This record gives sequence, structure tokens and C-alpha cells, in this order.
Amino acid sequence: MSRYVLLGLFHEATPTANTIEQLRAVGISDDQVTVMSGMPYRPEMLGRPRHRGRVWRFAIVGALLGAATALFLTVGVWLLYPLVQGGQPITPIPPTLIIAFEVTMLGTMWASFLSMLFENRFPAFKSQLYDPRVTEGHIGVLLEVDEKLADQVEAILKANGAHHFQRVEEKRPLFKPRGGTWQDFKERIAAAIGGPDVGHRKFWLAVLTILVIGGAIGALVPYGVFPISFPTQMENQISIAYEQGPRRAAPAAAVPVQGPVLIAGLPATAPIPANANSLQRGEVLYGVTCIVCHGATGVGNGKLSGFLSPKPADLTSASIQGISDDAIFLVITQGLDAMPSLAENLGVQDRWDVINYVRRLKK
Amino acid sequence: MSERQHDRPIWRHPMPKDEDLAHQIEHEREQHLLLDPRYPLHIDEGVLDPMYRQGRLFWLVCVIVGGLVAAWGATWLVQMFYGLGITGLKRPVMWALYIVNFVYFIGVGHAGTFISAALRVLKVEWRRPISRAAETLTVFALITAAMFPIVHLGRSWKFYWLLPYPNERQIWPSYHSPLLWDLTAILTYLSCSILFAYIALLPDFAMARDHTIGWRHTLYDILSLGWRGTEREWGNQETALNVFSFGIIPVMFSVHTIVSWDFAMTLQPGWHSTVFGPYFVIGALFSGVAAVIMVMAIARKGMRLEYFLRPEHFDGMAKFLLLLSFAWDYFYFNDVLVPWYGQDPVEKTIFALLTGGYVSPIFYLMIFSNVILPAATLWSKRVRTSIPALFVVCLFVQIGMYLERYIIVPVTLGQNYLPFDWGVYTLYLPESLITVGAFALVAFLYLIASRFIPLIPVWEVYEGQVLQGLRRIGRALVKTRAEPD
Ligand code: HEC
Repeated sequence: MSRYVLLGLFHEATPTANTIEQLRAVGISDDQVTVMSGMPYRPEMLGRPRHRGRVWRFAIVGALLGAATALFLTVGVWLLYPLVQGGQPITPIPPTLIIAFEVTMLGTMWASFLSMLFENRFPAFKSQLYDPRVTEGHIGVLLEVDEKLADQVEAILKANGAHHFQRVEEKRPLFKPRGGTWQDFKERIAAAIGGPDVGHRKFWLAVLTILVIGGAIGALVPYGVFPISFPTQMENQISIAYEQGPRRAAPAAAVPVQGPVLIAGLPATAPIPANANSLQRGEVLYGVTCIVCHGATGVGNGKLSGFLSPKPADLTSASIQGISDDAIFLVITQGLDAMPSLAENLGVQDRWDVINYVRRLKK
Repeated sequence: MSERQHDRPIWRHPMPKDEDLAHQIEHEREQHLLLDPRYPLHIDEGVLDPMYRQGRLFWLVCVIVGGLVAAWGATWLVQMFYGLGITGLKRPVMWALYIVNFVYFIGVGHAGTFISAALRVLKVEWRRPISRAAETLTVFALITAAMFPIVHLGRSWKFYWLLPYPNERQIWPSYHSPLLWDLTAILTYLSCSILFAYIALLPDFAMARDHTIGWRHTLYDILSLGWRGTEREWGNQETALNVFSFGIIPVMFSVHTIVSWDFAMTLQPGWHSTVFGPYFVIGALFSGVAAVIMVMAIARKGMRLEYFLRPEHFDGMAKFLLLLSFAWDYFYFNDVLVPWYGQDPVEKTIFALLTGGYVSPIFYLMIFSNVILPAATLWSKRVRTSIPALFVVCLFVQIGMYLERYIIVPVTLGQNYLPFDWGVYTLYLPESLITVGAFALVAFLYLIASRFIPLIPVWEVYEGQVLQGLRRIGRALVKTRAEPD
């Protein structure tokens, strides 16, 4: 016994509703009938049971997934790899709330979109029973019946004024959209993944699989599971530690910012020989600029020394006398901890004079 | 007899014999799209036909607008090569026209969703033919806006560093920063706006599929995903549309609030304000609704959609615009009054610049376009239903809202708490070209889309025509509203 598929087109809702009622009287159940229309008629208008979709549920799941993702991005990752910035908490609440809101909404809406496609069995690769007049305002009643009922149903449809009527044996496509090539392609895909009815499920399964596998591979790459050598990986690059030598000379045209002493790490001016003239000048200048802290004898007991921390160095000590003239020059020029830069008080020549005098302070 | 009446399709209702009544019905039909049903095939035709029409004018506009977009691209390349120094950006004004464009286009992108989501939720009948045009404007304006932070990056190609993805450099975006909230919000809003528009487009793509041949048929066949209009499809589509309508409104509010936080979270005088969030949202809706009206007017003329877009729709939108203008006035007054009361020296300087300084022409033009002109004209129904007049008002609103952002960004940024570091921003050629290019990009995308996307949601119009009716009360006919739940 063969089965038939019938499609009748109506102009208006009232005859459609009448037809459906009469079909029910003949013993055709509601789920054997499909109504197609160019606008959303309410089920009550056509006397049909209300369709209970599951899109809402998917939307809620999507919202939860979105919230979880947001919390992972904002809280989870920061707890895993803490990076304190500017004394701020690692996971402050207000920004977390903002991100959580946005990503939750993202999850909700994407989930409802995707579940709408899934629940509607989109994309439909199979050739479906359809009549293009549906988008011209006609209402189509589509049903699948046994041979013995077919004539009776046809009579009901026609009696109610179905102005276009098609009757086909089995599920041979009624409507072949114009433009054959894409259609052929779809049918080939449908055949390849096994029958028209499961087409959309397999499609979404394939999409999901590709996403999961692709995502997994993508996530594994940075953790070195696949040893791909990134050219940017730091251990492969030349690395020079902070202030590691040899120090390169500044470009010839560079303008010294801190004075000549900083060029190439060496004082640009030659030290002045420690003759009597220089020592006398040095003594005077020491008395003016250094004595308040380092004291008259240089042991670090100047009047200001009590207020300083660390204490002024003992210039007579072996450790200070052991450092080079250049180093003392730098200390005077730049200062050191509590010792201020004295470059403004002493010219370059003056500094060498003071250094000569400091050398004489040796015990 | 009455039985037969129900059998008749809505587009074939007979005129009553009573002449007076027939006359009134005739009048109502002229006024209201939803009371003027036609054979749906003709409605389909009215939407699909203009998509085939590519006259000489169309191509001319395409070439001009496309050229401007290309100029944007070339300028951008030059800027990437030589650096941001070729623009007018200099200390202290490091945010200028690019950020103005960003805020402006995000703002324009607000109306579309609001119209289709909020008016859908509130069941406002005149939204039906407008929603598609508004949604597409949202998508294109958002795409344009989203490009501007990237244009503003000196090294645009490092953009992806903002995204949270596991990487071997161990760079992870800091969610403490409003800029990252911005990125998240815009990605949410843009992607969901596209999906929202697409869900509503499915039945129309199916309609286009059924009435086209050749490559277009193939295209719409793919895009419609096999839509047949079964009860299940309509039911799930409606649920999804409801989720989107209720979901996207708070997202829309959040997007422009977060844009305003990019400013308000700083300590810059003139920006550090608590009213900035709602003030920006209202400003966005204000400029957005005006932009939608302009797009409607252009589409109506250019694509001969006079049947669909009638004065009643412009009337409704214009009322909405007037309301938003008042709301904007209120927020702007708040934003000015409170700092004025505080008499902070820097804020005082900014205020003096606006009212009497070098920015005063811009300031007074803004006040004229945003406050005086809408309030002076839009109360009149004649202006609201006259499309050219309304177009001019909306153009002024666009100018006013653009200037408002200009005042907020580079003008305010010129004055900070360190008076030695004050400065004035001047416009250079690169950013001017890129700005012109941005407007051109929106127009260009719209031109292309208008030939591919049914700009009128046919199924919504058709639904409205089926549901709406006339009822006689005494001697007069009144429209009955019907939107079943
Ligand atoms: C304001 C007080 C002050 C003045 C003035 C001052 N110093 Fe010092 N100096 C210090 C302090 C404090 C230290 C110890 C810094 C440390 O150990 O971190 C120091 C350390 C030094 C050192 C040892 C640097 C080292 O490498 O440990 C030398 C050399 C020195 N001073 C020379 C001078 C000379 C020469 C002058 C005068 C031109 C001078 N100081 C003026 C406070 C002063």
C-alpha cells in the first residue's frame, strides 16, 4: 500500500481552518498535517495545536554558558595567572559584572539563533514539499496519508476551495526550485550523509565536531603540544639583560643629556693633575659643597649627617678610596641615594679639583 | 453571506454600496499602508523590482562613493606607513576625529535596533515597513564605527592583541579597562544585530527565492536555508525574535553607556561626569532616529518605495525624534548645569570657550540644530509629513550631533588640570579624508545591500495588512488595532 502526499493551497484562514477541522473528523491526526504560510498565523486562527518550541530552553543554556565564559575570562584566568597592576585587585567586581553581562547576552542570543536554526531543521538540504505561491499570501495544507484515505482527503480539500492541488506518491519532491545546480548539490550532500530526514542533524553534528576539534587543536598549539617553533619565541631570540655590556657607543650625532660624563661611559674631560693649585681649589670647594654632610675630615660626620639615611660615606675609608676617579665624578654629577646631584654647584673642572682633594683625605 | 466574506482574500475586499462609506474607506487606504492591501505578488514585486534596477545614476553614485571609500583606504595605508604624526593629533589632544567618528557611528547604529526591537515589543504598528531599513543601517554603521579604534591605533595590525586568546607571548587583556568593556560590548552588539536582522530576513529571502531565477535564485536559496513557512518555523522564529528583542535593548543601552565610560572613567575635566551614560544613550538614539529618517527618505525616492513608506511612517518617526530632542535637551542641561554650579576653574574655561571662545560658532550651531530647530518645526504635522522638510531637519540634527561629539572629544581634551599643557586641535587632511570615507562607506554598503536585501520586510507588512481593520463608529470609520499575542 503506497502513501501519498497532498498539498492544497487556500486563499484565506477560514477555509483552511474548516479543512483542518474536517480532516480531523476523518481521523487524520494533527501531526500528519503541516500548514505553510507567508505570514505567521496564530495557531488558534487555523484551529491548530500551539507549537511548543525549545528555543527558550536553549537560550537559558546559552545564557549560563555565556556567564561561565565571562567568569572564566575575567576571574578564572586572572586567578590562574595573577598579574597585579597598580595596586588594583585582581578581580574587581564592577568590571567583572560588566563583562559578565555582555558575554551572557552574547551567549543567550547566539544560542537562541543557533537553536532556532536547529529546531527548524535548517539548513534544509533535502528537496522539500513546497509551493512557491506560499510566499504570495496563500496558505498551504500539506499532509501525508495512506492510499485508502487519499481520495477522501482530496475531496475535502477541494470542497473547501483549495485552488491549487498537488498529489504525489511517496516523498518525491513536489517542488523543484528553479536553478538546478545548487539543488543537485544539496541532494548529493543529503544522500552522502544519509537520507533527507537526518540531514540537518548531521550537518550540525559536523559543524560541532569541526568546532570542537579545531578549537582543541588551536588551544593546544600555544601549550607546546605540537612543537611549532614560533619565530617570536623569546628563548630563540638574542636576549640582552638589563645594562649588560659591552656598552655600545652612542651614535656620533647624539646630544648628551646628562653632560659629557655619560658619553660612552667615560668622562669626556681629562682629570686635572693634582698640583698645589688644584688641591687648594679643591679644599675650598669641598668646604663649600661637601663639608655639611661628609664633615671636615671626610669621615661622614658633617652637621647634616644626622638627618640623612643612609649616612654619608666615610670618604677616608679604604672602600671609597678604592673606587676610581670616574666613579666619584659620577657620584658628584648624579648623586647617590640621599646625596644629591651637585652638578649645578660644581663645574666639570671644579669636580676634578674636589676629587683631587678627596684623594688627600686618605688615612 | 458573511461566511463567503471570510473566504475572500484580504486583497479582494469589495467596496460597500454606501457612497459616503466607500469614500471614507478610500481615504483611509490612501493614508495607511496596512489598510491598503494588495495582491501579495504585487507587493513582492514592489520590493524585488527595485533590486534589479541599476540605472546610470546608481552606478554613478556607486563610483563616487566607492572612490571616497578607496581614498579612505589609501589614506589609512599612508598613515600606517608614516605613523599617526601625519594627523593633527598632538599633545594634549590625542583623541580627536577618529574617536568622534567612532562615537557618532555607534550612535547612528542605535536607532535601528531600538526601532525594530523596542517598537516590536511595544507593538507599534508603523514600525512594520521601517524595521529592515533601520536594522541594515545599524549593521553598517556599527561596522564602520568598529573600524575607527583600529584606524586610531598607530599599529593597526596589532589589533588582535585586544582579544583574549591563549598566546605564546602571555599577553592577556586587562578587564580593568573601559576600552576592553567597549570591545566586548561592541562585539556582542554587532554580532547580535546581524543575527537579529537575519532572523527577520529569512522569510523574505524565501520570498525572493520563490520569485527569482539564475544566480540570484541560488543566492537566496542558500540564504533562506530552506524556509517554507511552516508553523514550526514561524513559532521558533517568533521565540528567537522575542529573545533578541528583549536581549538586545539592554545591550544597546550598555554599548553607548560603555562608550561614554571611555570618557567618564578618566579624570579629565568635562568628561568625569556621572550623567554621561544616559546622556550618550539619548544622544545616540537622537542622531540614530534622524539617520533612519534620512535613509528612509532616500530609499523611498531612489527605490520607488512610495507604496510602503508613507507620510504616516515619517510622521511617527518625526514624533519620536521630537521626543528624543527634548530628552537630549534635558540631559545636556544637566551635563552643563552641574559643572557650572561647581565653578571648577578648568570647567569654567571650557564653558567660556563654548559660549564665547573659538568654539562658540560650533556650540551655537549645535544648540540650534539639536534644540531650537526640532522644537520649532517638529510640532507641526505639516513638517512631519513633508519629506523634504523633515529631511532638512534631520540633516541639521546629524550636523548638530556630530558637532556635539566634536565638542566632547577634541575641544574638551584641550583643557586639563595642568594649564601649561593646554592645546587646540586642528584638522589635518588625513583624518578629514578618512572621515569623509566613513560616511561614504556607510552609503556604499547601503547601496550594495539595497540590491541584494529586500529592504521592506514583506511578511511583516503582510501580517499587518491581514490583522488590521476598520470599524464604523457612528458616522466615522476608525482603525482597529490588532496584534494577537
Ligand atoms: C646632602 C649631603 C651630602 C653632600 C652635600 C655630599 N654628600 Fe657625598 N654622600 C652623602 C651620602 C648620604 C652618601 C652615602 C650614599 C650611600 O651610601 O648610598 C654619600 C656618599 C658619597 C661618596 C661615596 C659614593 C659610593 O660610591 O659609595 C662619595 C665619594 C661622596 N659622597 C663624595 C662627595 C663629595 C666629593 C661631595 C662634595 C662635592 C659630597 N659627597 C657632598 C651625602 C652628601
